[in-house]
Amino acid sequence: MIPEMIIKNPSSVEEVLQILSNHRTKNKIIAGGTDIIPGFHINSPRFTGIDVLVDINGIKEISQIIELDSYFSIGSSVTFSHLQASSLVREKLPVLYEAASGIGNKQIRNRATIAGNFINNAPCADSVPALLVYDAQVVVKSIENESIVSLQDFLEFPYKTILKNDEIITEIRIPKKNAHLLGSFYKLGRRRAVAISRISLAVLGSVENGIFTDFRLASGAITPIGMRFKEIESFILGKGIDRDLLKEVAVKTGSKILEVTGLRWSTPHKLPVLQKTLYQLLVNNFLENDEK
Amino acid sequence: MKSDIELNINGTAKKIFVEQSKRLLDVLRENFLLTGTKEGCSIGECGACTVVLDGEAVNSCLILIGQCGGSEIITIEGLEKDGKLHELQKQFIDKGAIQCGFCTPGMAMSAYALLLKNNNPGIEEIKEAIEGNLCRCTGYKPIIDAVHSAVKELNDS
Ligand SMILES: Cc1cc2nc3c(=O)[nH]c(=O)nc-3n(C[C@@H](O)[C@@H](O)[C@H](O)COP(=O)(O)OP(=O)(O)OC[C@H]3O[C@@H](n4cnc5c(N)ncnc54)[C@H](O)[C@@H]3O)c2cc1C
Ligand code: FES
Ligand code: FES
Repeated sequence: MIPEMIIKNPSSVEEVLQILSNHRTKNKIIAGGTDIIPGFHINSPRFTGIDVLVDINGIKEISQIIELDSYFSIGSSVTFSHLQASSLVREKLPVLYEAASGIGNKQIRNRATIAGNFINNAPCADSVPALLVYDAQVVVKSIENESIVSLQDFLEFPYKTILKNDEIITEIRIPKKNAHLLGSFYKLGRRRAVAISRISLAVLGSVENGIFTDFRLASGAITPIGMRFKEIESFILGKGIDRDLLKEVAVKTGSKILEVTGLRWSTPHKLPVLQKTLYQLLVNNFLENDEK
Repeated sequence: MKSDIELNINGTAKKIFVEQSKRLLDVLRENFLLTGTKEGCSIGECGACTVVLDGEAVNSCLILIGQCGGSEIITIEGLEKDGKLHELQKQFIDKGAIQCGFCTPGMAMSAYALLLKNNNPGIEEIKEAIEGNLCRCTGYKPIIDAVHSAVKELNDS
């Protein structure tokens, strides 16, 4: 059952912040509602006791994708359909494009927003590994403050972030120096269309004259929260690309995942799948491109 | 809290006084008696409740009426014009794409939303448009064929 609540429809971020700064009521932002509304049905403690839902759909200043001098600005309430339809995203941020295109199904992508996706910090949020490899930053505003934090620092623990009740995320920034990098996003899920991902990985990098000049690797669902694998990234940098190196990276990543997760019941079947998948992703993205 | 909400449903301007946190699905079915829109799973997985909101296919079980002020909504009842079925509806019948019919309104609305954007979609685009609509009895092939034939008919006429 959906509890009775007041729904407000502010038309600017300023107005949202005014509403959120009233601490006499329990206020909650709603964007696409694709996490909140199913959450009501299961009485999720994250969504109980709400007095006022603040609907941020239709606030223009946070629903645009813009190219600025040094970064791409993606409004927090940009939907996955919007990301999927954006030629800028498709051409310059291919990993994000792939992640966005694979989320849920058409109806979900038409409503679900990018910020709403990682604010839950569910291990299965597909935007997370994609944004992590692009060194995404998050702009957080309250009535008094504005801060810019890296997505990695924003995500605290599973299902928890540093966001406070009176704050809104207004935009996600992706440094433009990432726009020339190649990569892809992979997820293996239970069911094709609406699989909440169980294994998700993002790789991004570049190879020049057979040498890795840039490399980033991030996981989603397989680790408790999305994370970058910095040790592996620095291990590969400057090395000449060949199949043995890529195999070694896949094996090392597997061991690292064991280290951060501890053994979980699902690991024995996941790990070999993950290692093979990662190896294939690396071959497809870097070796075959290089051999062409 | 109850409030007045104005919206356009199937081409007609409407105003209702309703609990803001009532789902769009329930408002359509209970307040407007538009019972073509079905409730299957209630959590965005089955697509039986699909309607077109401002030109996009959405799950009406995941939208609250307080989020819909000023919107334009099209439901399955809005497809027929002057007593004539829409080509999509005709082809669903002709191609045997309906068995129990529970998924049909949602399927048709997903297909309709696709046609609003693209008047000549191919099979892959049709599949993507209905990926969020589950059918337990007919199987997807007759449904995809029906949409594909509707596309052909609409483009030939
Ligand atoms: C059937 C189904 C399939 C799905 N499949 C996938 C999938 O394959 N992959 C995947 O990653 N996810 C999937 N999801 C989940 C995905 O839809 C959500 O994570 C979505 O992206 C959340 O965004 P929203 O706009 O709907 O958030 P809402 O539900 O509106 O909000 C979620 C949370 O974010 C907060 N919030 C939203 N925007 C802001 C903001 N700008 N500032 C501050 N707080 C904010 C809200 O207060 C709330 O706590 C699926 C969901 C469903 C129902
Ligand atoms: S009832 Fe809405 S998607 Fe199933
Ligand atoms: S016809 Fe019965 S669910 Fe599709």
